Amino acid sequence: MSALGVEVGGLALKNPVLTASGTFGYGLEYDDFFDVAELGGICTKGLSLEPRLGNPPVRVCETPSGMLNAIGLANVGVERFCVDKLPVLRARGVTVIANIFASSVEGFVAITERLEAEAGVHAVELNVSCPNVTHGGIEFGRDPKLAAQVTAAVRRATRRPVWVKMSPEAGDLAAVARACEDAGADALTAINTIRGMAIDPETRSVRLANRTGGFSGPALRPVALRIVWDLVSAVKIPVVAIGGIGTARDALEFLLAGASAVQVGTASFVDPLAAKKVVEGLARYCEAQGVSVRELIGGVRSP
Amino acid sequence: MSSPPPKPAPPPRRAFTAPLLRRESIGESYHVLSFDLPKGLIAQAGQFVMVHGQEWGQAPLLPRPMSLLTSGTAPSLLIKVVGEGTRRLARANPGERFQLLGPLGRGWRPLSPGKRALLVAGGVGVAPLLYLARELVAQGRRPVVVYGGRSAQDLPLDDELARVAELHVTTEDGSRGRRGRVLVALEELLTSDVEVYTCGPERMMAAVAERCREAGVPCEVSLETPMACGYGVCLGCAFKTTEGGYAYACVEGPCVTAERVDFTQHAAVGKAQGVAP
Ligand SMILES: Cc1cc2nc3c(=O)[nH]c(=O)nc-3n(C[C@H](O)[C@H](O)[C@H](O)COP(=O)(O)OP(=O)(O)OC[C@H]3O[C@@H](n4cnc5c(N)ncnc54)[C@H](O)[C@@H]3O)c2cc1C
Ligand SMILES: Cc1cc2nc3c(=O)[nH]c(=O)nc-3n(C[C@H](O)[C@H](O)[C@H](O)COP(=O)(O)O)c2cc1C
Ligand code: FES
Repeated sequence: MSALGVEVGGLALKNPVLTASGTFGYGLEYDDFFDVAELGGICTKGLSLEPRLGNPPVRVCETPSGMLNAIGLANVGVERFCVDKLPVLRARGVTVIANIFASSVEGFVAITERLEAEAGVHAVELNVSCPNVTHGGIEFGRDPKLAAQVTAAVRRATRRPVWVKMSPEAGDLAAVARACEDAGADALTAINTIRGMAIDPETRSVRLANRTGGFSGPALRPVALRIVWDLVSAVKIPVVAIGGIGTARDALEFLLAGASAVQVGTASFVDPLAAKKVVEGLARYCEAQGVSVRELIGGVRSP
Repeated sequence: MSSPPPKPAPPPRRAFTAPLLRRESIGESYHVLSFDLPKGLIAQAGQFVMVHGQEWGQAPLLPRPMSLLTSGTAPSLLIKVVGEGTRRLARANPGERFQLLGPLGRGWRPLSPGKRALLVAGGVGVAPLLYLARELVAQGRRPVVVYGGRSAQDLPLDDELARVAELHVTTEDGSRGRRGRVLVALEELLTSDVEVYTCGPERMMAAVAERCREAGVPCEVSLETPMACGYGVCLGCAFKTTEGGYAYACVEGPCVTAERVDFTQHAAVGKAQGVAP
């Protein structure tokens, strides 16, 4: 394994840099920019059993060093993903993590079974933490019992690694995390967005049509780091970090805190090459310091 | 109405970094910025770029969508100051470095053979239309332009337009041209041999689109939805379509045929965004 290679719950990645669901499309939008197979992997836009239109506009707005989104999980549906997108990713050798969501345990299982029929999916990431839809998502992520049920059911439906994406809004996140671990999750990913809001005093109206939206970007990073740090000691399975990561320095913070890999999210909106630059920055750091990424994981020194 | 010729495939997109070459201010609110890009930016009229100052750091975080005024080795933008990002752009000095992502989206559809272009611009919406007007003139197809603003101060680059088009000006306060909105000048120009291209405040475009529909004249609009990425991955730039559902302005637009846009749904967008009528 090269200096950058890592292993996440049985899945070997050529480097620890993935892209976060919903911030990288289906990975096919980057043809003009770079070869996404250079990344550790990509997490797809959240896939549902049926295509979804999403929320009415306005769907995004900027906040200090961050943004709010209320996309409403618009996506092409698992069928079209399997037919139109996956074959191209597979042919290019991209490591694909399918991010999925549903409003019932059966729904999660049905999507997983559909994906099981296809080659080229390397892991399934369960979004039990979307703040922007009324049904499906966050209620699973708040309750240890429900989270365990979804995890166990998907676990039975696939041979592939199962990752569970944590909501920062679960009351007792460590309890949810341990419940997922006990139910057979191979890794946890954290964090999804936190619900936020913005109002325009000029027009006295709420900026997002959905009123509230998921808060992401650099401003989220310290909160995400603290949560990842807590999770690393709460469970034995690997933790994949997400939240305001846009540079190699940001990624190093999370690796040192104990994350086994990272996902680049909102930063890709600022620069489509952000994730590639994180890989390059990590390579330079490892070379200069004479270490491998694996040696860095959890290597933070106490004050 | 016969269907107009299809749009040519857009040129490849690139992430450039380029220093500011020049900033020319037009009054207090409008600024033309040009960038030094020896490699050259190949684009089509109506396409846009996402622009972000390398000195901005993490605030403003996201790049700002801006229509191209010109492309080539010194691509330029017309900026209207409305908030922090545009304020920074308006203060930038030559040499300051910017990231330009582009060209993005789909530009204006080609003018049908035998037709004359009627361009309807509102304020800063003039940028992609001036690009188009210059291109049409180069093809020997001088367009007619209706250019409207609140007052004489809100008509940046009107002199440039006058050079390449038959120009009709309207202002709401009557300080230049005809008093009123663009519709007052549009009426007599909407003949069966024109095709309309419009960019400006959403309510203006909705009104223009409605008049064109009544007159049976094809109309192309350039949408300004809020955007996070500009290249099709965030799904933030949704606009409601008349066929039902949403389309994405940064990929299928910003220039789209007016028939596709459900403006009744869209008025809410302008309101939530504080877009002036
Ligand atoms: C495809 C496209 C092309 C564009 N072309 C140009 C152009 O050529 N020249 C130009 O000056 N602007 C153009 N815009 C609009 C421009 O992107 C916004 O004005 C800019 O992003 C505002 O950034 P800001 O940081 O200054 O304001 P913010 O701080 O983001 O917002 C300040 C205020 O302006 C409002 N606002 C935000 N976006 C818009 C918008 N799109 N239209 C009207 N009000 C808005 C906000 O709601 C807020 O009230 C274009 C937009 C799109 C989508
Ligand atoms: C526009 C947008 C869309 C998103 N869509 C999804 C999604 O479909 N599924 C999901 O699990 N997370 C989604 N997320 C959450 C991100 O994957 C990530 O967890 C979050 O944005 C925090 O990371 P960041 O600060 O690096 O963006 C979305 C985030 C944004 C900004
Ligand atoms: S702005 Fe991101 S998809 Fe259009």
